[in-house]
Amino acid sequence: MERVPTGIKGLDEMLFGGFLPQTANLVEGAPGTGKSTIGMQFIYNGIAQFNEAGLIITFEEFPQQYYHDAARFGWDFRKLEKEGKLKVIMSSPEVTRLDVESVGGAIETSVNEMGARRVLVDSISHFERLTQDRVQLRSLEFSFINGLKRQGLTALLTRESPALLGETSEPDSSIAFMVDSYLLLRYVEIESTIHKALLLLKMRGSDHAKDIRQFEITGQGVEVRSKFEGREGIMSGSPRRMVDSFVEAFVKR
Amino acid sequence: MATNGDDFTARLMDDMDPALLDFVKARVNSFIKWDLVRFFYENPHTADTVENIARYTGRNHAALKPEMEELIISGVVQKREVEGTPIYSLADDDEVRELVGRFVVACEDRHFRVKAVYHIIRGMH
Repeated sequence: MERVPTGIKGLDEMLFGGFLPQTANLVEGAPGTGKSTIGMQFIYNGIAQFNEAGLIITFEEFPQQYYHDAARFGWDFRKLEKEGKLKVIMSSPEVTRLDVESVGGAIETSVNEMGARRVLVDSISHFERLTQDRVQLRSLEFSFINGLKRQGLTALLTRESPALLGETSEPDSSIAFMVDSYLLLRYVEIESTIHKALLLLKMRGSDHAKDIRQFEITGQGVEVRSKFEGREGIMSGSPRRMVDSFVEAFVKR
Repeated sequence: MATNGDDFTARLMDDMDPALLDFVKARVNSFIKWDLVRFFYENPHTADTVENIARYTGRNHAALKPEMEELIISGVVQKREVEGTPIYSLADDDEVRELVGRFVVACEDRHFRVKAVYHIIRGMH
């Protein structure tokens, strides 16, 4: 089966080789968990390792911030833009939606001129300000995602989660149901230290790893490491050692 | 003939790359336009409504709109319509982009900035 590898150490293994082509893939997490870094790395590796040009569509963060953040990992986005392999486009959700749906829009033109195959949308959460109506929001997001797919793009969409630790209350968006894969990033507290956890909740049309992995943001970008051993309740944000649960359940009676 | 002080200042302030001098006098002739030019240089693929660009640059949109329209006339900015919504972006023209880049880089020099400010203030009167 054809794949679109992220080039991110450990993540492609979880994805059984990468995302499926022309799919929409959601990365959700709290501020600072690394959503944008994973997105930038997906785009950068596409250019550097797989010769696939890419677009970054940002609704809030200034492009110059991306140039700056990318440089921390040794990724020269300005140079890639000059070489016609990357475009960091700043716009608003309302304009981007209209553009994607229109014939000969700026994004379609960029895809045709650059041969872009990947897109990062950072973040899809901003669509929620377009309407208070949940049905209409779902329709807007559905149409936008299909517009990206129609242009042959494999999309990585980030989504903000307000909770730093543990479960979140479900916001109005139903985008998690519309996307083809859903990657959840969480902070986890273990012995007074904050770790980062990653879980691939779904991947439509493919099997995938089900375990919860640790990951770190290093000088080279995101690296997905081994799964959390000997602990349970990882996604609650406050995991407990399995041995403690065992003692509580069977020994303390 | 004695040199008039104003003439001397004017000649001193004109002492810059002729292309940039013309760019400052004819195109970046206000501080809002200067902000816009710098914004588009730093974020070259921005494409949005004038209201949103005003928000990005921290300016009042009513004050920014006429300046944006003048930048369209001078060829620095381009406007297209997407389903009736006017969208503004930096002109695709390579020469314009190169000139914008030269202007912003030149502005890193304090002496150049002083001269550019002089021309903008003179142009306002």
